[in-house]
Parts: sequence; C-alpha cells; structure tokens
Amino acid sequence: MDVRDTYRHNVLTSGHRACSGCGEAMAARMVTDIIGPDAVYINATGCLQVFTTHNQQSAWQAPWIHSVFANAAAVASGVEAAMRANGKDTPVVVQAGDGGTFDIGLQCLSGMIERGHDVLFVCYDNEAYMNTGVQRSSSTPHAVRTTTSPPGRLSEGKHHLKKDVISIIAAHQMPYAATATVAYFPDLKAKVEKAMSLKGPRFLQVLSPCPLGWNHDAAQTIQVSRLAVETGLFPLVELEHGAVTGVMRLARQRPVEDYIKLQGRFKHLFGSKGGAVEIRHLQALADARIRRYGLLEADTEWTTDTANQVQRRGRGGYARVSKGESQ
Amino acid sequence: MSRLSFEAGSSVAYHTGDWRILRPVYKDKWPPCSQTCPASEDIQAWLALASDDQWQAAWRKLTERNPFPAVMGRICYHPCELSCNRKHLDSAVNIHGVERYLGDLALEQGWRHQPLNKKQQTQQVAVVGAGPAGLSCAFQLVRRGYPVTVFDARSAAGGTLHSGIPAYRLPKNILRREIDAILALGIQLHLDTRIGEQRSAQSLQEEFAAIFLAIGEQQPRIYTGNDQSGHSIMSGVDFLRRINQGEPVKMPRHVAVIGGGNTAIDAARCARRLGAEVTVVCPQDPHGTQHGHPGAEMPASFEEVIQAEAEGVRLSYRLGVSRLVRSGEHLSGLQVARVDQLHDRHGQFAPKLFEGTEEFLSAGLAIFAIGQEVDWHGLERLRDSEDSNILIGGDAAGKPRFAATAVGSGYQAAMSIIACLTGIPPVYEQHEKAEVSINDLNLSYYPQSVRQEGGVVADRLHDFDEVITGLDKTAVTHEAGRCLSCGVCFQCDNCWHFCPDAAVIKQDAGYEVDNDYCKGCGICAQECPCGHIDMVT
Ligand SMILES: Cc1cc2nc3c(=O)[nH]c(=O)nc-3n(C[C@H](O)[C@H](O)[C@H](O)COP(=O)(O)OP(=O)(O)OC[C@H]3O[C@@H](n4cnc5c(N)ncnc54)[C@H](O)[C@@H]3O)c2cc1C
Ligand SMILES: Cc1ncc(C[n+]2csc(CCOP(=O)(O)OP(=O)(O)O)c2C)c(N)n1
Ligand code: SF4
Ligand code: SF4
Ligand code: SF4
Ligand code: SF4
Repeated sequence: MDVRDTYRHNVLTSGHRACSGCGEAMAARMVTDIIGPDAVYINATGCLQVFTTHNQQSAWQAPWIHSVFANAAAVASGVEAAMRANGKDTPVVVQAGDGGTFDIGLQCLSGMIERGHDVLFVCYDNEAYMNTGVQRSSSTPHAVRTTTSPPGRLSEGKHHLKKDVISIIAAHQMPYAATATVAYFPDLKAKVEKAMSLKGPRFLQVLSPCPLGWNHDAAQTIQVSRLAVETGLFPLVELEHGAVTGVMRLARQRPVEDYIKLQGRFKHLFGSKGGAVEIRHLQALADARIRRYGLLEADTEWTTDTANQVQRRGRGGYARVSKGESQ
Repeated sequence: MSRLSFEAGSSVAYHTGDWRILRPVYKDKWPPCSQTCPASEDIQAWLALASDDQWQAAWRKLTERNPFPAVMGRICYHPCELSCNRKHLDSAVNIHGVERYLGDLALEQGWRHQPLNKKQQTQQVAVVGAGPAGLSCAFQLVRRGYPVTVFDARSAAGGTLHSGIPAYRLPKNILRREIDAILALGIQLHLDTRIGEQRSAQSLQEEFAAIFLAIGEQQPRIYTGNDQSGHSIMSGVDFLRRINQGEPVKMPRHVAVIGGGNTAIDAARCARRLGAEVTVVCPQDPHGTQHGHPGAEMPASFEEVIQAEAEGVRLSYRLGVSRLVRSGEHLSGLQVARVDQLHDRHGQFAPKLFEGTEEFLSAGLAIFAIGQEVDWHGLERLRDSEDSNILIGGDAAGKPRFAATAVGSGYQAAMSIIACLTGIPPVYEQHEKAEVSINDLNLSYYPQSVRQEGGVVADRLHDFDEVITGLDKTAVTHEAGRCLSCGVCFQCDNCWHFCPDAAVIKQDAGYEVDNDYCKGCGICAQECPCGHIDMVT
C-alpha cells in the first residue's frame, strides 16, 4: 500500500503511464477516491485500463477487474449478482472510455440498466478511441480531426454529430444519470456522492480532456474542461427517472472559439471558408444545448462561478486515511 | 527500476518523474500592494488572518512594520490600493478600511505590543522628533531590546500627525492612544526639549551610541511677493498648528488659501469649519480638465479635494497670486492672475502668470500653504557629520511626504542603527521574493464582489468631528476575504485535486511535490489561483 498522502486513499496511485496532463487519469483519481477503496472496480479496455496496469504493475489500491472492451457492464452485472447472493453490499463500479460506452459497450450497458443492477457506470469521455491512437468514436464532436476523420479537400473533420448518450441512458427510466467534468471538482464530488447514495443502475459521464488526442498543451487540461462547460458545448446536467432535475447555470456564455482555439483537433477550422461555417455550426450546437437545458436562466444558485470559487483551506476532499492503515 | 520490469506489484515502483522537463516549485511571492506600501507591510498576510477571524494575530502581523494602524487606516493615501491586483477583476481591496478596523479594535481591546526578545541591550539610542518616523524607529529598537530616548520640541508627541492633520480626519484621542501603546514598551520621551536649544547636539553625541534625526519639515516656506509683513497673513502649518492645539483663531468672512497641496486643502477645510467663505487659489487643476487624468496635476490627494468641494470650499484652478491688496494695515484681498505653465525648462515648479489676466479676490486673511522646509538650526553638526551612527529620516530626509513613508523610513533607520551597533549587515531589504503580477493569477477562481466603503458624515461643517466612518465587522471580513492572496498559497487544494499523477502530497501545513512521479504537465501551476507555483527546469 502506498500511503504517502494521509488526506486521501489514492485508490488510483502514482506511477501509472498516462500521458502528462491526462484528464482521464485525473477524473478517475477523483472519482475513485470519492468512492473509496471498499468497492469492486470493473474496467473496460481502453487508456485507463492500459496505463494503470502496465507490465504487471498496478496503480490500483482497491479490488479491480479488467473485463474486455465490450462487456464491462455485463461483468459488473455478474459481480453485483454474486455479491447479492453472498449477502454483501460492496459497491460495484464500472469504468470505461467513450468507445467502451457509446459504441461497443452500449448494448451491455443498456442490458445492465434494464435489468436494474445496482451498479455505478462511469464513462470517462475523451471523445475518441485514444488508446489505439485517436480514432473517431460516436462521441467525437462534429468537425473534429481524428486519424479516421482527417480534414482535407473533401471534409472538415468528422462529419457526424456527437451522440447524445446521456439522453439515451436516461431514457431507460433509471434512478440517476449525470454529466460532470474535471474542472468543477465540487460538482463532480456532489454527483458521485449522490450516485453512491442511491440504489439501482446509475450513470456518470465525465468529460475528460486528452492532451494527446485533443492536441492541447498538457497544462491546459482544466481550462479546456472548463471552457467546454462555459461555452455550452458540454452541459452539466442531472436526470432522475428520465427527467432533468438539475443543471449548472452558466454565469456567462463564452463563444465556442475560446474553447476550440486551444485545441489542435479543431485547428483546421481556422483560416478557411468551410472552417468558418463549421465554427458557426459548433456555435449553433452550443446555443441549442443551452436553450434545451435552459443553462442561462435556470433557477439555481449553482453556477459556473460558484462551482469554481476557491476557499481558504479547500472545499473538502476525501475521507482521510489513518496512518495505522499502512502496511 | 527498469522501464521493462516484469515484476508484479504496485506501479509506485516505477518513477514517472524521469519523463519530466519542467518541475513545479512552491514559492511565496511579494504582492504589488506590499511593494507599494511605503511601510512595506505584509498586507496579504494580515488580510488573510483577518479574513480568518484571527484579529489579534492580524494586528500583530500588521504592527511588525507599522505601529500606527488606526492612524494610517485614516490618513494614509493608500497607494497599496492603486496597485492592488484585484482592481483588474472588479475593484481594489479596501485595505485601509481593514487596517483602520484592526487599529481601532486593538485600542478598544487594549492589546499591548510585545518585545521581540528578552535580551536587554546596553547601547543607548537617541531619536530627535516624535513624529511617525521617530516613533517608528524607537518602536523597532525598543522591541529589539535597545534603550531609546525620544526628544521633541513640542509639548505633544505625534509630529505633524498632531500639529498638521486636523481632527476631522484624525481624532486626537486615536493618535494619542496609539502613541501611548508604543511608549508603553518602555520608551523615554522628553517633550518641550528642542535639540539645538534646550539641549545641545553635542551632548547628545556624547551620551548616545546612535542618533536618529526625524525632525520633519516644520519651517513654512514664506511668500516672497510684496508687503508680506503686517496682519492677516499666515502660513498653512502655523494656522493648522494653532487649530490643532485648540487655540481660538478668529476668521474674517472671506479667507483665501494659496497652494495646491494637502496642507492647503486641510487649511481650507478648517477655515470652512470656523465659518469662513474659503477660496483656494491653486496653480494646478485637480480635475484635469486640461491635462491628464483627475488628480494627476495636483499634489493634494484627489479624495481630499472632492471632500473639500463637497464642504463648499471654492477651488480656483490655474491661478497665481500677483500681489497682496491692503487698505491700511488690513488685507482687503489678493490680486490673482491666470497661470501659464507650471514648470520651468528644468522641470522646477515655477508657475508663470499671464499679464493682463488679473482679477481681484476679496479676502480678510491669506493662508499661504506653499511648502515647508527642514529647520536645521542648532543641528548642523549632526546633519553634516559623516558618522555612520547618525541617521536622518522621514520628511527631513526629503522623502515623499507621507506618514507611511516616515514609518518605513523609521524602520529602516532602526535596522541600520542595529547594523551599525552590532557590525552585522542589516537584513531589511533582503526578502528575495519575486514579484507577482496579474498575469500570474488564474482569475477564473475568483467571482466578482462589490467593494465596501466607509460612510461619509453629511452634516459636518459645525465641528471637527471625524468625517469618514469606519467599516463594520461584516464589511471588514468581506473586504479581507476579497484579497486574492497574490503569490501566497491559501491552501485551496487545487494543485492537489488536479494533479493527474497524485504527485502533489497534502500535508498538515501545505503541500509537497513528489518528484519521483511528477510528469511536469504544469496543471498545478496553471490552476493555482494565486500564482504561487512556478515551473522551473
Ligand atoms: C497639513 C498636513 C497634512 C498632512 N496630511 C497627510 C495625510 O493625510 N497623509 C499622509 O500620509 N501624510 C500627510 N502629511 C505628511 C505627514 O504628516 C508627514 O510626512 C509625516 O508626519 C512626517 O513624519 P516625520 O516623523 O518625518 O516628521 P514630523 O511628523 O513632522 O515630526 C517631526 C517632529 O520633530 C520635532 N522636531 C523638529 N525639530 C526638532 C528639534 N530640533 N528638536 C526636537 N524635536 C524637533 C517636531 O516638533 C515634530 O514633532 C501631511 C502633512 C501636513 C503638513
Ligand atoms: C473488441 C476489441 N476491439 C478493439 C480493441 C482495441 N482497443 C483497445 S483500447 C481501444 C480504444 C478504447 O477507446 P475508449 O473506450 O474511448 O477509451 P480511451 O482509450 O479513449 O480511454 C481499442 C479500440 C479491443 N481491445 N477489443
Ligand atoms: S491518450 Fe489521452 S486518455 Fe490516453 S493516457 Fe494519453 S492523455 Fe490520457
Ligand atoms: S489582492 Fe490582496 S495580495 Fe493581491 S494586491 Fe490586492 S491586497 Fe495585495
Ligand atoms: S500537476 Fe502533478 S504532474 Fe503536473 S506538474 Fe503539477 S505536480 Fe507535476
Ligand atoms: S493551487 Fe491552491 S493549494 Fe495549491 S499552491 Fe496554489 S493556492 Fe496553494
């Protein structure tokens, strides 16, 4: 056990091989430390699985299973049923990338929810198949450059739109589905805690910037995450039994250019006529999401400003680890 | 551990730190407020303590450099606020409001200054002048165990704070109580003792191991035009001193005050309170209708000018006196004329009047507030001495004439005296903290918030009661909490939360980077709200 830090457990500890500045590593570190070590984690294939379990070295300090790419939710269903059969209520948590959620993992996930398994499914959404070298997924936003949606004479990057997976999941009439992102830690924390307080299938989609695949400066991971929200491109919402029950209001709306100009995956849009059209298209998509969820006028104290505000001596973190626990 | 290890176990065996090019370093910086505070107060530190309800600790931190918070919170022109980083976000922190509150609270609670060490030194130090410079120096020395004797020619301590600044800006009892708290550390004070008259400079040199001359600029510069003898002419400092000593001064109906500095404005506001119609004849234009931004031209504080105008003082700008007009002994008024340029070719202040623009200004009293000079009478041998144990500070050293500058100069003098007496070089200028500018901060973490101001008493012309009321506790907590903590960690946890590699370790006091694992992404430095983290090679 690594107990360098007594202020949290470090369920996902140091020495993992994620790229410098990885948003997925950051998101998983936050989520698993909020849940704690007393849970069973099932990980679909993808960056998180590969970079945390390299050369037989594990960065996990909790029970952790690698399923295959498609079946993480099915494995979790089995683990949860086995726990129940043995009279245990150890929490079961799935972690998967967007490929393992939106695409190849979707039918197992749908089945798990439909059968009502008591499992939290966390999708770290980095908007492409990153581990295999940045191929487009159904989560990749419109007009993005990936290795399989290269811009050129005939295209301005990915033609199709980002799949609205949260609506698909929520349509299962399940207890809790929410979106979150790394920039707003208090919001992420509240959502994980809420999810853990409920029974039945629950789902979190955590936007996790990828410096390699999004081609942004490693130091900008949080800024990119924050701008995804502030532009309206990635609304932070909560849905219970299919209905929207909470949104984070935007204290102000920022133009999508602020967001996309930090990222090389949108670079081809600047300086061309076709690109300008796509930027306007992205702006229209952001505007539509803002209207759909009422992000500018929602009647809530919870805004991008209050969620960002820092406090002397922090805003709370994780359960503390007593030194006696070290081994 | 080799990169291709196949030994099963924890990933902590693998040190990702060697991927790194840059490495984060935690470093306290010196914020712009403190850079501009003439007394070099650690403003960020005491604001942090105040926002944390640690009132006494805040007062102690403040008084390390400035034993006059209740005074300074009232009369300092607060240049710190002009440079406060918060102004780029909404408006500067009301630093002087919090300072004043802490000073008043200390007086109310009777908090006492503590000596810094128990050790008593034997070498005696003399301080000439009990103004802010002299008392600041004495305070620093006596806290460090040196026996100090302060001499002043006047019968009350405080220097110009007492004799110059009127009570409606600085109530006398506030000044007196703050001085008493300083003296209570065990300073000998000899009032009514002018060095060079009641006691010789030479006797001081014989008796004391070091001397600090903080004699201020007490000698009014005199009007050199026609017919300056006779009645109805007074200097600004003499006029203010008489009022501050409680002497009755009879006012004619019309009073003219000549000058563009703070003394002129103070004299005008006092004359107004004594019932006169007051016109200030000043060569400069405070509102900058012709040049620059408001307040730029005039040496007087712009806030004071606004107050004076609100009280009905008439300001006639860009005018100069061409001669005094008398009928017999008595002054009937001034002949004034338009001023052309203010400065001569060498940049010296020398307003030139336009011929043919003369007008008459009725006045039964003319108060000339056209500057002061140092009165070296009887102190020449000390002034001209080359000895390193004789120092000159405050206004007498020709520093910018602010009370806080005098306080800062007193601190430096004390440090130099100790250096001279011990032979160990002074330590005061050696904080090697880097500056921190607005570009080093991440403003996304600080929401906008409205600055709280002290109130202004509306009905104020019939007495010398204080005009500006202080902030209450709620407002003070609010203002202290508005400080961005520029360059100084306030344990917000951002770096700790955001490090993707769990390389920031949280400790009971602060954080540490574990260089075995830090990949050098720079997120911690980028997301530190206050610019406390540097990325270095
Ligand atoms: C009218 C007026 C208003 C002002 N308002 C402000 C303001 O609002 N804010 C601000 O920051 N600054 C203000 N100032 C400036 C400020 O008061 C001075 O910069 C400050 O007081 C200088 O401090 P000091 O200790 O150097 O000298 P002083 O305060 O002038 O003290 C010098 C002392 O030395 C004594 N002394 C002189 N010669 C001898 C001697 N030979 N022997 C013994 N004692 C001697 C004097 O009696 C006096 O008490 C004002 C100045 C004036 C004149
Ligand atoms: C059935 C199957 N197809 C393909 C792969 C190859 N593969 C491994 S990881 C990965 C991409 C994972 O992408 P995503 O789920 O988005 O996670 P990320 O790496 O982006 O975190 C792919 C295609 C596989 N392991 N299994
Ligand atoms: S490719 Fe992206 S998601 Fe994968 S480790 Fe690197 S930064 Fe993280
Ligand atoms: S915000 Fe605080 S630390 Fe920064 S300049 Fe203003 S008072 Fe000083
Ligand atoms: S966030 Fe972590 S890995 Fe990145 S520079 Fe800071 S300490 Fe190093
Ligand atoms: S990010 Fe917060 S906790 Fe870390 S150094 Fe900066 S102020 Fe301190």
